[in-house]
Amino acid sequence: MFYREAGEFKTSYPADQQIFPIALDRLGVKIVLVFAFLVVPFIIDDYWEKSVLMPFLVWSMAALGLNILIGYCGQLSLGTGGFMAVGAYAAYKLMTAFPDLNIFFVIILAGGVTALVGILFGLPSLRIKGFYLAVATLAAQFFLVWMFNKFPWFYNHSASGQITAPERFIFGVAITGPEAPPWATYLFCLTIVVLFAFVAKNLTRSVIGRSWMAIRDMDIAAEIIGVPPLKAKLTAFAVSSFYIGVAGAMFFAVYLGAAEPTEAFGIEKSFLVLFMIIIGGLGSIVGSFIGAAFIISLPVLLKNIMVGGLGWPTDIVQHLIFMLIGGLIVFFLIVEPHGLAQLWRITKEKLRLWPFPH
Amino acid sequence: MATSELYLCAYSTLSQKQHDRDNQVMMPDSVVDDVLLSVKNISLSFGGVKALENISFDIRKGEIRAIIGPNGAGKSSMLNVINGFYHPQDGEVWFKGIRRNNLKPHQIARQGISRTFQNIALFKGMTTLDNLMTGRITRMNTNMFWQAIWYGRAERQEIEHRERIEQIIDFLKIQSIRKTPVGRLPYGLQKRVELGRALAADADLLLLDEPMAGMNIEEKEDMCRYVLDVNEQFGTTIALIEHDMGVVMDIADRVVVLDYGRKIGDGVPDEIRNNQTVIDAYLGVSHD
Ligand SMILES: Nc1ncnc2c1ncn2[C@@H]1O[C@H](COP(=O)(O)OP(=O)(O)OP(=O)(O)O)[C@@H](O)[C@H]1O
Ligand SMILES: [Mg+2]
Repeated sequence: MFYREAGEFKTSYPADQQIFPIALDRLGVKIVLVFAFLVVPFIIDDYWEKSVLMPFLVWSMAALGLNILIGYCGQLSLGTGGFMAVGAYAAYKLMTAFPDLNIFFVIILAGGVTALVGILFGLPSLRIKGFYLAVATLAAQFFLVWMFNKFPWFYNHSASGQITAPERFIFGVAITGPEAPPWATYLFCLTIVVLFAFVAKNLTRSVIGRSWMAIRDMDIAAEIIGVPPLKAKLTAFAVSSFYIGVAGAMFFAVYLGAAEPTEAFGIEKSFLVLFMIIIGGLGSIVGSFIGAAFIISLPVLLKNIMVGGLGWPTDIVQHLIFMLIGGLIVFFLIVEPHGLAQLWRITKEKLRLWPFPH
Repeated sequence: MATSELYLCAYSTLSQKQHDRDNQVMMPDSVVDDVLLSVKNISLSFGGVKALENISFDIRKGEIRAIIGPNGAGKSSMLNVINGFYHPQDGEVWFKGIRRNNLKPHQIARQGISRTFQNIALFKGMTTLDNLMTGRITRMNTNMFWQAIWYGRAERQEIEHRERIEQIIDFLKIQSIRKTPVGRLPYGLQKRVELGRALAADADLLLLDEPMAGMNIEEKEDMCRYVLDVNEQFGTTIALIEHDMGVVMDIADRVVVLDYGRKIGDGVPDEIRNNQTVIDAYLGVSHD
């Protein structure tokens, strides 16, 4: 009886169509947001920023993007790393070409560039599906990384082949560069991620989101009842790539500060994000966050316990973590394809009835 | 436009019910405009299989037109031609008095044709409400930007169309499963939700491919009631494929009979009942 949805009666459709129709959910979201915006910036330190909060924000953004494509529109992609690289290199080129451009707009524009590239690589999805599409996006992954290595124009002919983010400020506070304070980078990325999480939520509950899901569930029927498949698939690729591009731009410019394509944006990044949305929950906005939080914090947590607490050797712990994550993925694929978000939903359903199961 | 010859012949076979309706709703001599859709000399083959051979018939505004025939006769293929999923090698489709060019299925849906499928084709991961709202997509249109911020036209549109969808939900008595993912619903209810999704488009022509297949007597009666009510209350024209002869003879205004891709009968139920070719090819062979 803690968590109620059945007891709440909506007397109008607008009330029923709110972004979070259940009062307790609304309260929960508000508490999390207040804590994240008003408390965390005062207690954040370098360690928490670098090893937990920033990776969480960056990968949540990427997971949101991939979830729109795979979880909502059903188009399998293994090109996430490559698209993040597009965002990163677009941000780099924009920062160096237009030094006066505000870093916020740099990040957004980098997302826009990635969206265009995403549409281009999404075109095959009009013809091919499933496994074959996955292979095509895999090709995109390798092609993009190769391209950023191959053509010095992308890294402004720097001797190392790396890209390095110049220092940029908002209201006089450094957001990029080595001097940027943890609270500023955190707040900057948090703002972007929260903003676009709401956008994703809105998109997925309106016409466009329903067309994505219709294509995912039954593409032929969707087309016959009036969903234009071309528009649905390409908007999914565009929106998804936008998010992933923004994630890549934040990853490079705000979090890493410097990057080199093969290492920062390799195929294992594509899989990392895929694992996040499988564990978190396909087709769930909150699942994207849960998945990212889980995959980011689990290794940190286990390392602290096993290496720090129990004194086990680092490499063994590293392998244990790999095995654990692998096992979890298999578990979720077989037992609960809708991931942790679904387990959370079931818990809520149980809580609603608790302590009287009938 | 149908040739006057074709139309005259169709007119002479109108049932009494049809006559009454014509006299009520429009001048008898405006019947030419009364044809909503006609197919002319449609031929469709898959490799060597001739699914449809030189089929012509029309569907008049406001009628329930049954398409019957044994298994594999080409009934579903005919619907697939009408909504543009199959492209016939030969023949023409006229809709609302205009000859249709090669359009995509989703464009044809927008012109006012919606349908249900022989094997339920719902969006399984979505709720009943979302399935129905998706069915209304041909009538909704908003810029993605406004949808992203859920403001202005986007929000107004969601609410406005939700009201229509709720009417359909009430009509089909599926209020209690509004928020249930349709994959969890029993077969009979899924069929009903699928009808709801097709109704959501408020289309001019509704194609129903065996809406009562696999149902028990009660469910069949309910479904019959819904089909008749849709036809009478909303004035929707319906093309219906159905194997149950009792149902067909009860609710159809006119019946077209296919067998091995050819048309072997076309007329009011009484004529079809007494048509020897039809009896031989169909009624005599399989009763169910
Ligand atoms: N996509 C397709 N590819 C190949 N052959 C097809 C295809 N669609 C239909 N056919 C063939 O066309 C013929 C007519 O099939 P159709 O599904 O239209 O029959 P039907 O009258 O709806 O039968 P039923 O009562 O079993 O539903 C069959 O021989 C079928 O095998
Ligand atoms: Mg059929």
